[in-house]
Amino acid sequence: MSDVLSQISSAIMEGKKDDIGQLTQQALDEGLNAKQILDDGLMKGMEVVGVRFKAGDMFVPEVMRCARTMLNAMEILDPLLAETGAKMFGKVLIGTVKGDLHDIGKNLVGMMCRGAGFQVKDIGINVEPETFVEAVKEFQPDIVGMSALLTTTMRAMGDTIKALEEAGVRDSVKIMVGGAPVTQSFAEKIGANGYAPNAAAAADLVKKFMTAA
Amino acid sequence: MRTNYRIHSGIRFRTLSEDQLHALFDGTLHVMENTGLDVHHEEARDIFEKAGAWVDGLRVRIPSYLTRRSLEMAPRSFTVYARDGNPKHDIRIGPGLAYFGPGPTPPNFTDVDTLERRPFVRNDARIVAKVVDALPNIDFCESLGTISDVHPDLAASYEFAEMFPNTSKPIVAWSYGWDDGEDIHKIAVAEAGGQEAFEKRPNYIHYCEPLSPLTGSFEAIDKLIFSARHRVPVIFTPCPLAGGTAPVTAAGIIIQAAAESWMGLVLAQAIKPGLPYFMGGVLSVMDMNAMILSYGAPELSLMMAGITELSHYAGLPLWQTGGCTDSKTLDEQASLEGSLSCFFSALTGGDLCHDVGYTESGITGSILQTVMMDEAIGYSRRITRGIEVNEETLATDVIHSVGPNGHYLTHKHTQKHFQKEFWFPNLCDRRNYQQWKESGAKTMGERVIDRTRQILATHQPSPIKAETEKAIKEVMEAAEGRVKNKS
Repeated sequence: MSDVLSQISSAIMEGKKDDIGQLTQQALDEGLNAKQILDDGLMKGMEVVGVRFKAGDMFVPEVMRCARTMLNAMEILDPLLAETGAKMFGKVLIGTVKGDLHDIGKNLVGMMCRGAGFQVKDIGINVEPETFVEAVKEFQPDIVGMSALLTTTMRAMGDTIKALEEAGVRDSVKIMVGGAPVTQSFAEKIGANGYAPNAAAAADLVKKFMTAA
Repeated sequence: MRTNYRIHSGIRFRTLSEDQLHALFDGTLHVMENTGLDVHHEEARDIFEKAGAWVDGLRVRIPSYLTRRSLEMAPRSFTVYARDGNPKHDIRIGPGLAYFGPGPTPPNFTDVDTLERRPFVRNDARIVAKVVDALPNIDFCESLGTISDVHPDLAASYEFAEMFPNTSKPIVAWSYGWDDGEDIHKIAVAEAGGQEAFEKRPNYIHYCEPLSPLTGSFEAIDKLIFSARHRVPVIFTPCPLAGGTAPVTAAGIIIQAAAESWMGLVLAQAIKPGLPYFMGGVLSVMDMNAMILSYGAPELSLMMAGITELSHYAGLPLWQTGGCTDSKTLDEQASLEGSLSCFFSALTGGDLCHDVGYTESGITGSILQTVMMDEAIGYSRRITRGIEVNEETLATDVIHSVGPNGHYLTHKHTQKHFQKEFWFPNLCDRRNYQQWKESGAKTMGERVIDRTRQILATHQPSPIKAETEKAIKEVMEAAEGRVKNKS
């Protein structure tokens, strides 16, 4: 493996967010293409981060930093990848449903998905079903993630799915739901495609959706 | 700190110095005045503005003089009364007095018969109230769950309607908003004998929860306004996660939680000067691997001790936290985490210590955990009662009269004092091996389950008045009418 690619992997693992831009540029200068850098550099690093996190050897703030490092590299690579038309990973739209102002769980899901290489659009908290519909039309995600922390606001997840159905965009996306009171059986009841008990599981789930697709 | 043994012979415990408390107090005032808080409630923002706060969009910044004045207005000592007039079930809030009880709203419950984890149902609220009523060291009642088998909008109304007849210990009520808050209030007022009688002898407390960081949701603020207007003693308690929704440092999270609590204080005192008010809340760490709010972390106890001291420094009673665990079952971890946090909470003298019976980091309520913790609280209370020192307890004359080689078993000094000096366990087994073996060699967990089932089979709470029964029926019928056409 090229020396610069292993340096990129290490920079990801160590969360060197200020060095990654220069390393990415160096790799491009050495003639590597964007897809190689992504697959053999960035993602290699993030895979190790994922394994270490699951083993309890790394912690959320460190993983956040690694994901941030990854994003800094992607700023350079994204336009190049778009040029070649290589569709790498999926796009994830996330939001906390109507009536619910809880933020942190959704933010964790966003960062974990970004770390897994996904493009993430976060439309915030207290999101009306209609706003989800508009965002799906505009952003055209592969996956929609909905969060709720309250037993009352959980119901808005079902309302949102109905709104997506009525707008005719339900089948263009996979839907995942999460939040403390949410369960697998609730997810099935409202017609979501999946449930994730925490942010790491959410990142696994979006990957699973994309391989299945 | 009272060291005069005639008033209080308890042990002396402090985590923060005067100077540190002053720094935390000033820090809180600074955040409220300079950063401010978002209040998602238009009427509340008007009230804040009229009281002297600066309002800019959603943001409310509260000048420190206004916070100080509100602190002055709220009482440090007051009583919440047992609905049936039983003084043993009254809760007298004041320095050196600490009370314990369960917590609100986990989605799941540990079934007392099957011991399985399953969604919380209506009958569980009745079970919890009945067991709470019987336990000697549990002083107030919350349900340990959100009822799943009724219309979701009515979960809190049914919860209160089930608990109220099954315990005369004061209930800390929880509701989603105004309507169900009103259902609850109507039931309590029926028993008290009208609004005026209720105001003189309040028989429940209302629980509201702002969001961290620094946000008052519409529902939390609306409930606070309802409570203040009806003079219901109120708890306003945030649940910040250190490192997630609050600073990672203990001092930082204490300041943020105090600012969130005092936002509610200023509003409540502006509406109803002198309203009994508890600041909160649940302060703990976000586990940086499991990504949960830890209910068994040592930092919870430490942060709670810190905010208790700040609260008492500012002259307010505190909504403490303890007796809870991250364990999924009634096991050694549950015992260790729950007991240590109960003990630490007892040391701080935090006024109402809740969440006794939370397991799985607040996702599953377990009355079995509450029953086990009743023992830990009794144990802790014996220690915090301290050593009484006076002529009688020094017992030099008793020592002299027994002398070398004698014994104290039959001495009248022993007869007179042993029941008060010693703590008598209900669950901890001190018998010899043979006796333990012959009585079934039961573990602590098995004894907890036996005791819980025995209470449920035998305990009879004092009944509510006939007119309250009627009121409950009417209130719930009207509530069902309210949601008839809602999904």
